[in-house]
Amino acid sequence: MIIDVNAYLGHWPFRQLRHNTATGLLKLMDENGIDKAMVSSINAIFYKNSHSGNEELATEIKMHRDRLIPSATLNPEYPGWKDDLKQCHEDFGMSGLRLFPHYHNYTLGKGKSLDMIRDATNRGMFVSVPIRVVDRRQRHWLDNVSDLSISDIEQAMRECPEASFIILNSGGFHNTKLVRDEKLRSGNFLIEISRMSVVLQEAIPRLMEVLGPEKLAFGTGMPFKYPAPALLKMQVLKAPEEVKEKILWQNAARMLK
Amino acid sequence: MKIDCHMHVKGRRRSWGWGDNDKIIDAADRLGIDKLCCSIPITSGMPTPAEVQERNDDVLEAMKRYPGRILGYCFVNPGYRKEAIAEIERCVIKHEMMGIKLYNQYKCSDPAVYPVVEEAIELKIPILEHAGYVSDPAQAARQPKISHAGDFVKLAAEYPEAMLIEAHIGGGGDWEWGIKTLRHSPSVYLDTSGSVIDEGMIEMAVRELGAERLLFGTDMTMEGGVGKVTGARITESQREDIFWKNMAAILERREQS
Repeated sequence: MIIDVNAYLGHWPFRQLRHNTATGLLKLMDENGIDKAMVSSINAIFYKNSHSGNEELATEIKMHRDRLIPSATLNPEYPGWKDDLKQCHEDFGMSGLRLFPHYHNYTLGKGKSLDMIRDATNRGMFVSVPIRVVDRRQRHWLDNVSDLSISDIEQAMRECPEASFIILNSGGFHNTKLVRDEKLRSGNFLIEISRMSVVLQEAIPRLMEVLGPEKLAFGTGMPFKYPAPALLKMQVLKAPEEVKEKILWQNAARMLK
Repeated sequence: MKIDCHMHVKGRRRSWGWGDNDKIIDAADRLGIDKLCCSIPITSGMPTPAEVQERNDDVLEAMKRYPGRILGYCFVNPGYRKEAIAEIERCVIKHEMMGIKLYNQYKCSDPAVYPVVEEAIELKIPILEHAGYVSDPAQAARQPKISHAGDFVKLAAEYPEAMLIEAHIGGGGDWEWGIKTLRHSPSVYLDTSGSVIDEGMIEMAVRELGAERLLFGTDMTMEGGVGKVTGARITESQREDIFWKNMAAILERREQS
């Protein structure tokens, strides 16, 4: 079993994506042996009223709920988010909230953002946060958004210790408080692996040593990125099968309970 | 079979994030990479001939330590014309390095680079030049003389017989811009390395340039480098060309001379 915690559906305004419909993504998943994927709406990042993207996502995956696990994307600074979150959870059956603070121009660990994280947590939803969507070096001239800092997520984790976080598209955690601070380290979070290595720099094995395999989750970044590199990492990881199973799906499944 | 056309080794004064060069061989073994073409460029400032020589000596040391697995590029600063040519002759003729590595000291189309290109043509060896069309102004400002595809087009027009390799399609710049710019410069190869593993990148490069102009590389993104080629929707014959046949043909030109 493989669960990808880092997948998306929809249109990215600055580069043509393939496999970005439900059927397209499922075909790509089938070709790569990926059973389930946690998805959110790319459109919701760019719509002023993000919730329209959630409505589109709910319709798009209606027939594929056994394999595509939706997360809501909302902007806490935009009116109506409480009602929208309620609808995403209660009517659309969304089990997560995926946040893009830099695209929506707010600070993750302050103000209304914390209200939204707490509301989602009270509903039993996990909160996933991509550090970046695309590499800044190749950004479109209208896409002036920088990477999120790990410290932004650490701040939100401190403020909302009861919340469950999944950190997506992060490059490394060397010397971050998340790995050094015992209280933060013992929090309920997962780190997704798509931007970290198993061989050479060995970021993944080193994180496993510090945090334990219970803190890591398989993710690809589909359809932005090729899924093959993430799968290859799991192949070459020197770890017992039961440890790989945790990373490949068990840790992600824990977030869904 | 895989030949990595763009890799680096650790030297006395240059560390890339791993402890010992044994890690490279371990990574290559786990990913099925047979040979790695390596260099130690000096990535800022205008290095002196003595500094350059020290880096190349470290590459030679790695070549001796891992014969047949680590092949060497001779890094030079074209600003020291006479010394650069002497260093190329020392490394290539005396010590059997396989190519020349240029970084961002000059744009590759700058006439200061011409004597190095002429030497490469004479010796029948390729030039791998650090490159990228960086669209983020802050990132671009850090490397004002980084070459982009347009600079390679100019240089190839001056020296169509040169074997020019534009480095890392996934090195962080706008890869679509780079691929389209190179369309009509058939003597320029493009290497597939870099940390960006955007889905569709390899397919577009094959479609626009042809698989015969692409060379597999990692530039230290090991699983990503291999995975983006294995995951691309191209024919097995095209994959073989990219993974090793094209680079083997380049290496043979020197061997046969």
